[in-house]
Amino acid sequence: MRAGDQAAYAVLVARYRARLGRYAVHMLGDRDDAEEALQDAFVRAYRSIARCQDDAKFGAWLFGILVNRCRTAGRRAARRQRMFVRDDASLARAAAAEQPEAPDWDITIRRALDRLAPALREAFLLKHVEELEYEAMAELTGAKVSALKMRVLRAREQLRALLSEVERV
Amino acid sequence: MFEHDDDALNRMIDRLREPVEMDPRLDTRVMTRVASPGFGARAASAWEWLRRPRAVVISPITGLGLAAAIAVLVWFLPTRAPERGEPLASDVTAVQFVVVAPGAESVSLVGDFNDWDARLTPMCAVRDGRLWTVTIPLAAGRHRYAFLVNGARWLADPSAPRAQDDFGAPSSVVTVGG
Repeated sequence: MRAGDQAAYAVLVARYRARLGRYAVHMLGDRDDAEEALQDAFVRAYRSIARCQDDAKFGAWLFGILVNRCRTAGRRAARRQRMFVRDDASLARAAAAEQPEAPDWDITIRRALDRLAPALREAFLLKHVEELEYEAMAELTGAKVSALKMRVLRAREQLRALLSEVERV
Repeated sequence: MFEHDDDALNRMIDRLREPVEMDPRLDTRVMTRVASPGFGARAASAWEWLRRPRAVVISPITGLGLAAAIAVLVWFLPTRAPERGEPLASDVTAVQFVVVAPGAESVSLVGDFNDWDARLTPMCAVRDGRLWTVTIPLAAGRHRYAFLVNGARWLADPSAPRAQDDFGAPSSVVTVGG
């Protein structure tokens, strides 16, 4: 492998790191998991760059790889949680004890996102945070536009309810 | 009530859109893995081997010889090539441009800095012709640029802010310094 390949690719990694990192952090809710998913996405993209056929869409292609890595990482994290979390009642008590009287806005946001199903969270973030068109989202996720619109709508409804619940506390 | 709920949701979206700082060392980790497939396991065992304490006995004569050899090596080391963002002169910086252009036969960098002349800054193909790259010195300031693929197709840099040139062709903006 030539040094020039790597130097050139390092420039792309540095340019896309922040944008892709934001999605991974919000999708997974854990910085270590997000960095691992992002790292995997960059490495996989480099190894399979021959599959990127459209030069104008390199960013979208890379984003698609990250979306898949986040799905895998999310499933792994959920399994991990199921292994360690067995007593729901104790957990609820512990969570209640940890809660400050007025929850920090960032914590509120994180909890609200965590309570969305992964498919709804993914659609919400791609639409409202990454500001993608539904057609681009369909290409990235493999879901139909109508399904994505429904997911975004349901995510918005659930988030509204969750946020107003917190504000009433 | 609905307006109030939307207000909270919009505040949440605004917060989520803010940039998230990622560990810049992530780039190094990516490039290490990219450089060597299967690097992880081998590197871990090599690191363990290197970290293992061991006694090394060096005679005074050998020690002097080693010191002299290191001094000679440092003296003859070549000067490192400038990387992206490294200052060259007071207001000139080496900037590396990279674009993914699979299947292209030629790619040129054109911009304000070379009077949009496609002959002046040809890019080099790396990674089996998928990536094209060139590094040029740029003065501090804002520069508009684009890539010219196969001498005919204009391509804005997908990873940079967009600009519109006087003829409506897609182009991008790079800001150096400041």
